[in-house]
Amino acid sequence: MSSFRRPSRSPAAAAPLDDEDLLSEILLRLPPQPSSLPRASLVCKRWCCLVSDPRFLRRFRRHHRRNPPLLGFFFEEVIPARGISFVPTLEPPNRVPVGRFSLQFDDGDRYRLLNCRHGLVLILFGKHNQALVWDPVNGDQHRVAVPPSFYMAAPTRVRGAVLRPAGDIRHFQVVLIGTHKEQHKPGIACVYSSETKEWGNLVSTPLPPENSIYSFRTIVYRGMACVLVGNCLYWLLSERSALILEFDLDMQRLAVIHAPVDIGANSNCHFSVMRAEGGGLGFLFLSDFNAQIWSRKKDCDAAVSWVLRRTVQLDKLLPLKQGMGVVPLILLLLGLAEDNNVLFLMADAGIFMVQLESLQFKRLSKISFWRHLHPFETVYTAGNSTPLHSARTKKNTKKKPGMLLTSFRVKLTISCSVLHQLFLLLLDDLFII
Amino acid sequence: MATREAGKKMIMLKSPDGMEFEVEEAVAMESQTIRKMIEDDCADTAILIPNINSKILSRVIEYCNKHVPTTGATGAAASDTVAPAALAEDLKIWDAEFIKVNRATRFDLIQAASYLNIKGLLDLTSQTTIDTISDNSLEEIRSFLSTKNDYLPEEEQTIRRENQWAFQ
Repeated sequence: MSSFRRPSRSPAAAAPLDDEDLLSEILLRLPPQPSSLPRASLVCKRWCCLVSDPRFLRRFRRHHRRNPPLLGFFFEEVIPARGISFVPTLEPPNRVPVGRFSLQFDDGDRYRLLNCRHGLVLILFGKHNQALVWDPVNGDQHRVAVPPSFYMAAPTRVRGAVLRPAGDIRHFQVVLIGTHKEQHKPGIACVYSSETKEWGNLVSTPLPPENSIYSFRTIVYRGMACVLVGNCLYWLLSERSALILEFDLDMQRLAVIHAPVDIGANSNCHFSVMRAEGGGLGFLFLSDFNAQIWSRKKDCDAAVSWVLRRTVQLDKLLPLKQGMGVVPLILLLLGLAEDNNVLFLMADAGIFMVQLESLQFKRLSKISFWRHLHPFETVYTAGNSTPLHSARTKKNTKKKPGMLLTSFRVKLTISCSVLHQLFLLLLDDLFII
Repeated sequence: MATREAGKKMIMLKSPDGMEFEVEEAVAMESQTIRKMIEDDCADTAILIPNINSKILSRVIEYCNKHVPTTGATGAAASDTVAPAALAEDLKIWDAEFIKVNRATRFDLIQAASYLNIKGLLDLTSQTTIDTISDNSLEEIRSFLSTKNDYLPEEEQTIRRENQWAFQ
């Protein structure tokens, strides 16, 4: 008869909670909400040591990487343009203080917040042609020189994405996409790996010519961030076109694909690429108050087509007439959290967060308007060891969590909101890096 | 106890209290620890599982029987004929019933799952433990887990102060 020759741990030797490894296994399953670990650390000293251990924290982040909570969102400070600010959207006790996630830059630095993913933030600096990857949880900052192809040629609009390779919580990748204002120039893409500390080969694809009817430019749209589906990244190519730029990370291939709807003729619409329910690429088309949700499917003969999954009547779902008590005139799409499938919408009554599967929604009170916001979804593990941010990072100011918002608490009218959107649209067009 | 079926290799598992369980090799190999023994050719006719009594071992085998990828008469995996979502839903309901056990049994199952390296069972038992306590107050958690508060009042206050936001 065989038996376990060298049992690593005798199962009856200690109750599970007295065994460090087993207790660690159990505590790994604590909810990924920010307050989980600080609260667990108060049970007893042993628990505190365990949940503060860097190895445990790495495992905790890895264990929950597929279902990170939506902590809030980042946005660029516009006037004055001095940095990146954070707005928490979770309720207490999971509301991470604003000051822990703010980043300030030197005066004169021209920058763009490009993307948030996997707990990282990607910022592009025009002055030194650098990309900054910032980990707001531990304060780490990595600066990477942008390849000359993205700024030596004719004016190029650069967009990008940051991500961690599957299952890897130490390294990251940066993907930059460049499209030219001049016609007949191809779109370009390049990938940086923090593991090799090198950029890969430049890849390119021809872009469609300018649309003579609606006169849009085939230039990657910065309004909405890109979405990661499987191992492909997708950007909208233009705010007036039904074209999507696809970058396949495995194949290192850039391609243009068509969106499911004709956008050119519709002046009052917003749209975004998204993750489809059940996987694959999705597309959200918001026209007036109807949100159409499309998904792209492959037939058995590999033919690709779009299918309209459902239409959500947002004016019936959301209390849009509240607030100032007038009929809403406009509904703006501000952002989309890809892991949590949550839509951020701006209406006269404030910002709404809508979970697209359950259609549960929440209104963010005391928040006025931003054109673009970047949802931040990650497992917050700073816990008891709050990182000391670099000298350039804002200190934990004396402001209370709501104070940042208070500064924006200006009574707005709908017309003011529209004017502001137009102003930011203008900024979009001016900012070519 | 598993029934022998034609063409299927069987393994005998023996608990320290002398009970023997004949199980299909595929079922036993749900345990990565046993799988390694079999693959390393360290298992002959019977395997002694130390320190896991017959009551817990029989529950572990019951779990593995349910979770082993089954094959039909044609040899096609059952999951080829049953929709994966329906299969997953069925397993979820079964798991919920399976884990309706008292605290002592659940802790024994956690130890057994860890020792035998059965990831699904470890997930189920650990997650259920966490779900049981996660909505409770600190005092309730300490009481449920028979853990003592060994903080001095000032130490506890320091921790609360460091992450004041998490205790609002």
